[in-house]
Order: sequence, then structure tokens, then C-alpha cells
Amino acid sequence: MSMSSVKSPYTVPPPCNHLASYKLKNGLAGYTSLQEYLRIAPNGKPAISKPDSKAPGCSSCNGSHQRLYLCLSCNWISCIDHTLSHTRSSLGHEIAVDIERAELYCGTCRDQVYDPDFDRAVMCKYIREMMPRGRNGFEGISIISERSSKRRRLVPGLDSDFSVSKQLICSGDQRAKSCYPLGLRGLNNLGNTCFMNSVLQVLLNAPPLRNYFLNNKHNQDACRKASADRFCLLCDIDVIFSAVFSGDRSPFSPAQFLYSWWQHAANLASYEQQDAHEFFISLLDGIHEKEGKAKDLNKDGRDCQCIAHRVFSGLLRSDVTCMACGFTSTTYDPCMDISLHMDTNSSLSADSPNKANKSSGNNMGSSSSTLIGCLDLFTRPEKLGSDQKLHCQNCQEKQHSLKQLSIRRLPLVLCLHIKRFEHSLVRKASRKIDWYLQFPFSLDMGPYLSSSIVRKRFGNRIFPFEGDESEISSEFEIFAVVTHSGMLESGHYITFVRLRNMWYKCDDSWVTEVDEKTVRASQCYMVFYVQKMLYYKANEELSCIPISSQRDAFLPVVGCC
Amino acid sequence: MLWRGSVNRPPTPEAEDGRQDQHLSLQEIINIKLVESGEKERLKELLRERLIECGWRDEMKELCRSFVRKKGKNNVTVEDLINVITPKGRASVPDSVKAELLQHIRSFLGSAAL
Repeated sequence: MSMSSVKSPYTVPPPCNHLASYKLKNGLAGYTSLQEYLRIAPNGKPAISKPDSKAPGCSSCNGSHQRLYLCLSCNWISCIDHTLSHTRSSLGHEIAVDIERAELYCGTCRDQVYDPDFDRAVMCKYIREMMPRGRNGFEGISIISERSSKRRRLVPGLDSDFSVSKQLICSGDQRAKSCYPLGLRGLNNLGNTCFMNSVLQVLLNAPPLRNYFLNNKHNQDACRKASADRFCLLCDIDVIFSAVFSGDRSPFSPAQFLYSWWQHAANLASYEQQDAHEFFISLLDGIHEKEGKAKDLNKDGRDCQCIAHRVFSGLLRSDVTCMACGFTSTTYDPCMDISLHMDTNSSLSADSPNKANKSSGNNMGSSSSTLIGCLDLFTRPEKLGSDQKLHCQNCQEKQHSLKQLSIRRLPLVLCLHIKRFEHSLVRKASRKIDWYLQFPFSLDMGPYLSSSIVRKRFGNRIFPFEGDESEISSEFEIFAVVTHSGMLESGHYITFVRLRNMWYKCDDSWVTEVDEKTVRASQCYMVFYVQKMLYYKANEELSCIPISSQRDAFLPVVGCC
Repeated sequence: MLWRGSVNRPPTPEAEDGRQDQHLSLQEIINIKLVESGEKERLKELLRERLIECGWRDEMKELCRSFVRKKGKNNVTVEDLINVITPKGRASVPDSVKAELLQHIRSFLGSAAL
């Protein structure tokens, strides 16, 4: 889809005469009474249905194979042919609603028409149904129709620091900003918490997590009943999702979540800077602990079904080969992410232009200044040092060994963590590796699967390999990048998220649209990919949620699909 | 294929259930059963997924786009678009998708004991 049409500002089409006179005559009464029959179809879109759930059909001809329209003046349901004749025969009955799509139609103009008021009525109902209320009354969901400045319940004291003028989303060209998809909202920095905000922005835009929370799969009421007053990270995340998807664009303070996380990771509970990756792992761990216990699934050794594992868990395979006899022993380990080294011996590293001649045995072809290079390095056979001789079952003695990693099973969401923080035991110092790393937007993990790696080991022979028919595809699309700028001790994390092929920069409270070049040029620290199919599905879902500008009327964005 | 109720009976205003209950064809009966059990919605969801996965939806979007470009965006109605892409759309549904849905409907009919 060409995105240039979304970038240009556009206006809401003016109503046709018939819609205008319908509004003059009926005002919003028709729309409001229609809300009763609005429901959310399984695909998440609003539709109109009568409570008796009988198969709808045209009242005149019983036809149900065409689009059906409900006349707003007399509630008569007709197929398109009979809608047109109905309009001709009944004066003033021009405006109807497509019941499957909840869209307005004018029988005289014979075309779809648009009305911001109608869409507001639809979306109010939609949001009310989709968003559960937050726990503890902490930052309840602001329903669009009732919004007033009094309902802003940010943590006191933080409000004053973030004056409205800084909120770039709400300033300037309203129409351009009203293009922002739902799900983008700044997060206030509560004291060096950019490490947390950056990871939260990733989770908010990870398609499987988005679906999980927006479909209310973690029911706060049920959870509260089950676990008394224990802190629940999932409930807190649910609150954040509700707040971020509420349509309110003012920055949100995830204070409750921060407090909950401190309970879980007491050693990290301070206002000091933390590592975003460490936080990410700690968070997943916290989710697993709570949900894993509740679901009690690990007893029979099956895979954990907690949402953290379902989304992020993959399986790594490690092959250790005896260099004397060739015997290979294989082990499998689950992983929630993959940490990649940047090759410090690479001839293309920024601070060693002369190393090219000195480094031996270095493959000039695969540089680590690309993410692919890092993945190659990750799966390259590694000669274990003399101090790491392993016992070979075949030779019955310790031998030099070769170790090779590969991916046995890919997760839905792949987190690639770039090890930029080097802690050298020798030098007793830590440093940050600032080199630029190029990363792709589309990533095929095929070459790093165990099947590919093992096959290559035998010279690419044609033979069936266990796990060849992978249930999960190996093609991924990027959807978020957490970048770090600055130094080891004092730096700043920001996240770029990709929605419908547009990139947005999430820098604590400020969310702005950026272009691809900016993202590509950034210094990536954690790169998040999601299975291609889920990415396109998520885009499709997003395109059907009208977007709002925060200030005034809920402007539906026509043609944004 | 259109089914017509009795054309002699004048339409009743406000009545949403203006159709007859006699003379329902088998197709209509099946449709009603599918809708009332919620199966039709599930099938629609499944179909939607498959058509997106195989790129059919993107193809249709492209067809619509080129039609709008040709006619000019102010000269196109929803009806025009529907008339243009329906034949092409129907023709290009992959056989595997058709087969899968038929299979689902068949097993539904089996369990509904019609």
C-alpha cells in the first residue's frame, strides 16, 4: 500500500445534501439509538445486528447474498436493489447503514457517505466494549464522549512537568496528527525510567501481545479474585494497554506498573539507570512466575503456556562435536531472546582500521557491522579452548571440541539483543561498543535454523531432517527497535515502532513520526521482529480502527485503510 | 440466485421480520442454521484469514486502486467497485481455500443433522 496517501493531510468529505438534511431533521438521535445494536464482530470490527440473531435478510426479497442496508428512518432492512427502490418510494428515507460494516450509505447518491458524528457513536461503543476498566481506579479509561480535563488522573506532581505544548502529537496540524494509529502514546519518565518506557513501547506494539490484552485475555477481575492482593504485572500491563489505546494522547505515567515491578525485582528497585535488556528479561520472568504458577502447567513437562513464553520463547540447539572422532552431542535449551556479540575482531570495526592485515583466520566476507553478520557469528562453529576440553562419549576422554549453535524453534516475536556493553574481566573495566550496526527490516531466519545449519555441516545433502516441516515460518518483519545513545553509565533509551509501514519515535513522553532513514541510521540495542504473517495481520487490523486527534471531535480518518 | 417471497403481499412498515417462513429453499435453511449457530461468522473469519494470507485481498485492493485511478476518485461509487471486482474476485479464489471451506461446511452439516 502506498503510504504517501496517508502522509498528506486530507479533509473529511462534506456530507451530501441528503445526509445534511437527515442530520437537520434527526440530529444524533438515530445514531445513538443504533448503538444498542452495535456489536463487535469476531474480526474486531463493529457491525450491526438485531438481538434475536436471526439470519438477516432483505425484507422484500429475503436475499442475503448482497450487502444489506438498514434504513435509518424506518429500520427497514433491504438488499441494495430494494434499498434503492425504497429510497425512491419513501420520501426522506435516503440514509441507510451497511449492517455488516456499520458504514453510512445514501440511497439517492448511491454511494457511501461519511459523518464524524456517526463514527464517533460507533467508536464510543467499540471502545466501551473493548476496554476493561483499570484496577484500583488508577488511570481509568477516558471514554471519548465524556472526556474533560478533570478526568486526567496522572500521578500528582508529574502533571506540571509536562506542559501541553511539548506534546508534539497534539500540536500543529491536527489533520496530519489525526493519522496516528491507535496505540501510540507517550510515557512519562518517572526518574531515569527510559529503560522501562522503551521496553513498554515495544510490548504495546507487539502484535500477539496487543491482541492478547485488547481481547481482554487477562481478565483483571478474575485475576483479582484468584490472587487476593498480590501484585500482578499482567494486570498492570493491562492497565497500560487500556490507557494507551483509549484514544487519549496525553503522556501516561506507568507508575503503578513501575511499583509492581519493583516488588518483583527488588534488587533493581531504585531510580538509577537500568539496562533495558535486563529489565525486559526480568519482566518476562515476572510474568512467567505469576502466570506459570496460576496455570500450573509445568508439571507434565509440557511447554509453559504463559503469555510471555507463548510470545517470546524459542528453542536453541547446541551441538558439541569432538574434533578427534566427530561424535556430536546435542542439547536443547529454551530461550526468550538471542544475545548477539559484535565481532570485536572484525576488520570493519570502527576503531581498528589496521586490523585487517593482522587478524588471522578472519573471514573477510562476513563483517559484523550488520545484524546478519552477528547472526552468522552466532551460528558459526566455535573452537572451544584448551581449557574447555569436553569429555567425548566415543573416545572416552577429554578432547578438543567444536561447538555450534542453531535455532531449533523460532518464537512468534524474536528479540535480538546486541551486546554493546562489554565487561572485561581482564581489564576490570566495562565499556560500550558504539559501532554502527546495520539491520534489515525483513529478516529470513531460515539459514539459522537447526535444519539449515546441520544440513550445511554435511555439505548440503538432500536428506530429511527432524523438524523440517516447521510449523512456524522463518520470515520475520521488524516492528520495533530499542536504541541506546550515550555512555555506559549515562545514556538514554528510545524506541522506534513500526505501524502500518510508518515509523514512530517514542522518546519517553514524546511520540513523533520519523522516516525510515532515521531508524536505519540509529544505534540499535534490541531489535524486535515478528512473524511476517502476524505483522501483516496486525497492519490490517490497525487500518480499520479510526484514529483520533485528542483535542476535539473524534475525526474519523477517511481513506486511511 | 434470488429467492422471492410472495410478491403479492404489500410490505409491512417497521416490520423487520417481513419475510415468509414457507417456501424456504434448502440453501436458505442452511444459511439460517449457519448464522444462528454462529458458524457462519467463524467461517467468514477463516475465509478472511486465508484470503489475506494468499494475497488475494491485496490483489483486490490493487484492482480497486487502478479502477479508481482510471475513473477519477470523484467518479466512483462503492457499487461500481463491487461490480468491477466481484467477478474477478470470485474467479481468483484459490481452490485450496474453496476446498477447505467446503470441508468445514460439510462437517457442520453432518453435525447439525439436517
